[in-house]
Formats: sequence, C-alpha cells, structure tokens
Amino acid sequence: FRYTRNLVDSGNGKFNLMILCWGEGHGSSIHDHTDSHCFMKILQGNLKETLFEWPEKKGNGEMTKKSERVLRENQCAYINDSIGLHRVENISHTETAVSLHLYSPPFDTCNTFDQRTGHKHKVTMTFYSQYGERTVCVSMRQHAP
Amino acid sequence: EMGAELLSLPCLHTLLAKNNRLGGPGSLPKGLGQAPLARSLRVLNLSGNRFADVPPALLQLRGLRSLSLGGNRLHSIPPDIQELRSLEFLYLGGNFITSIPPELAKLPSLKYLVLCDNKIQSIPPQLAQLHSLRSLSLHNNLLTYLPREILNLVHLEELSLRGNPLVVRFVRDLTYNPPSLQELAGRTVKTRNVPYTPSDLPETLVRYLSLASNCPNPKCGGVYFDSCVRQIKFVDFCGKYRLPLMHYLCSPECSSPYSSASQSSTSQSESDSEDEASVAAHRMQKVLLG
Repeated sequence: FRYTRNLVDSGNGKFNLMILCWGEGHGSSIHDHTDSHCFMKILQGNLKETLFEWPEKKGNGEMTKKSERVLRENQCAYINDSIGLHRVENISHTETAVSLHLYSPPFDTCNTFDQRTGHKHKVTMTFYSQYGERTVCVSMRQHAP
Repeated sequence: EMGAELLSLPCLHTLLAKNNRLGGPGSLPKGLGQAPLARSLRVLNLSGNRFADVPPALLQLRGLRSLSLGGNRLHSIPPDIQELRSLEFLYLGGNFITSIPPELAKLPSLKYLVLCDNKIQSIPPQLAQLHSLRSLSLHNNLLTYLPREILNLVHLEELSLRGNPLVVRFVRDLTYNPPSLQELAGRTVKTRNVPYTPSDLPETLVRYLSLASNCPNPKCGGVYFDSCVRQIKFVDFCGKYRLPLMHYLCSPECSSPYSSASQSSTSQSESDSEDEASVAAHRMQKVLLG
C-alpha cells in the first residue's frame, strides 16, 4: 500500500512519462535522479517537496534540508542531480494526489538516502502499471523512491 | 451531525463523510449499532472531522472492513477496537495519539495499519501478533526504539519509520533496580522447578508466581517478574538502516558480553540470537521504507 507509478509513454526510448498516484500519507524516500531531467506536474491534490543537499562523501550525520514547499494543483516542478535530492509526499490525511512525471533520459535505477545518516542505497524502480495494464510479477523486494 | 435518515438504509456498504464538522455528541445517529446497516457497512471514511475520541457506536459496525479516522483529534485508540473483527484497513494518521493499546493486535484480518503523524512514544510488543499485517506506517511519531518482536511480522511488506527520534547510539538503562527478595525467591522457585500447590502458599504469591516472564535470551532459560534490564540492541540492515530494538533481559549478566562468569556461553547465546535477529533483519531490510 504505497504510491503507484504508472507508465503512460516511453517516448521511443527518449523519455518516460508516468502518472504517480498517492494515497493519504504516502511519501517517497529521499532520492536522486540518475543524471536525468525530472519534471513534475500536480494533476490532483497537493504534494510537499523537500529538497536536500547531497550528503558529504563520508557522511554520517543527519542530511541537510535545503527548502520545502507545497505544490498545488497544476503547479510544476523541476529537479536534476545538480540541484539536489528531494522527498515528495502527500501530507494530506483526507485527500489523494496525482502527479505527472517526465524523466529524460529514462532511468530505472536510482539511489535512496537515509535522512538520519546520509547513507545511500541503490534501488531498481518498478511500475505498478504500464500503458494501462497492471504489471504483475513485480518483485516486492525493491521499491521505487 | 449525521441524520437518523441514515438508519433507514438497510444495505449501505460504503459511507464517505470526510471533511465535515462531525465530532461532538450526537454526531452519529442514535441506534447506529442496532440498525441493519451496522451489519452491511464495509467502508467508513470519517477523515478530516473533529472526533476527539472514537464513538463507541462505531465499534458495533461488525462487518466493517475499512475505517478511516485520519486528520481528526483523537488522543487515544479504544481497546474495544478489537470488536471490529473484520477490519482490514485502519487509517489513524494525523491525530494526537500517544500510545497504542495492545488490544489492537487482536484484529485478525488487519492488513494495513496507518499511524503516521501522531505522538506515539512506543509500540507494544503484542503488535507482532498481527499476523495478517502487510503494511505498517509509523512515520513522524516520537518513537525512540522498537520492540524486538517487530521482527516477527513475517508478512510485513512495508514499514515506514522516518521522522522518529530513533536512538542511534547504544543506550543502557542505568537505573537497574536490583531484584527484591521476593523476586529472587520467585526466580529460584521457577527455574529450579520447586514444586508447590495452592495450599502451600498464600493466594497472592501463587498469583505472583504465575506472572513469571521468560528471559528472551534463548540460552538463558531464566525468568523475571518485575525486575529486568532494558537494553537497546541495534539490528543493522546491512548498512542501509540501523534499527534500535528494545530487549528485556532478566539481568545485566544475561546481556553483557563482558560477563566474567560463563563468558563463552553468553557470547554463544549472543551470537545465536544475533543469527535469528539477522535472518529477520534481512527480511525487514527489504520492507523498510526510507
């Protein structure tokens, strides 16, 4: 029971366009974007985006928050690795949220970060559905950021 | 408030009443628990209202599978929540809940439990009895450690813990109170299997002896009554996350790797229980959400 990633278009290999559906209280981990551009538009509800600095090489302390904002319906956001890392969350306990994401070039792995220590962990991202069809046989072991 | 007209709907399955001003006395129609819809209702969403406690009538909705009271003003969860035997989904995020009643663990079908954004300071170990639990959301609370029993939730697929002040360094409970003579005598009776019958002892002592807890150290075999040592042991999820788990042990000697007496057996037991913990930890690693 987490937010779902639903692939809409894979743009001839040049980009991934997907819709993310966030239930009440759902949030992502802190993650990077594997050297790609990431555009996000809120289609429904609100999402809070918290930006973080990259942890120090030998990082062993709490990660530094740069800023946070609440993105409203129809608002857009952009991020890439040179800007920093972020966590995206639906902080509402009553409303769901839907966002449209465009990643170029497409990527299926990224790093997630432990906010308390800055330790990173590579994960493979999976889709809940692709082109409207439920993606089955998804390994439950690894999870999208 | 919700009108009594509601009660005339005999087959009502889903009731969505979020973002209203419900919460005061009379918010729910009188006789809700006896109405036909008390048996038919499966989904109830009362999120975004002003409930300061869970109305007792709610606990009579025997067929309820999904209950949301997110974003209300709850300070506690009533133990009678266990009456909702069919409950599979329980959303209580965004309230002011400070503790979880162990009775919550008696819900046999509970699959998704959301307790994020509350003021919870500790998790009762009984929660590990929720054998159907697949998703547990505890982020943004006041947890400093978790009970080691949490590793027993074998079907758990998701666990969120971020935003809790989890201790990161070893913490030893420095105020270990030495056991009383009664406790020491009780321990001896239990561990040496000294036979006794109810006619041998006053009733209070018979009752006391029945409350012995086994030391969780598998190699110990000892028991304790009121006097135990709390120790936080870190389970390392292969560098991804270190979780502080609270162990209750019968004495400082049981836990300490530096015990001069029986050092080899202690370290063996330490490593045995480490093995168990690391198998469970490996499973949990895949479940932890950052």
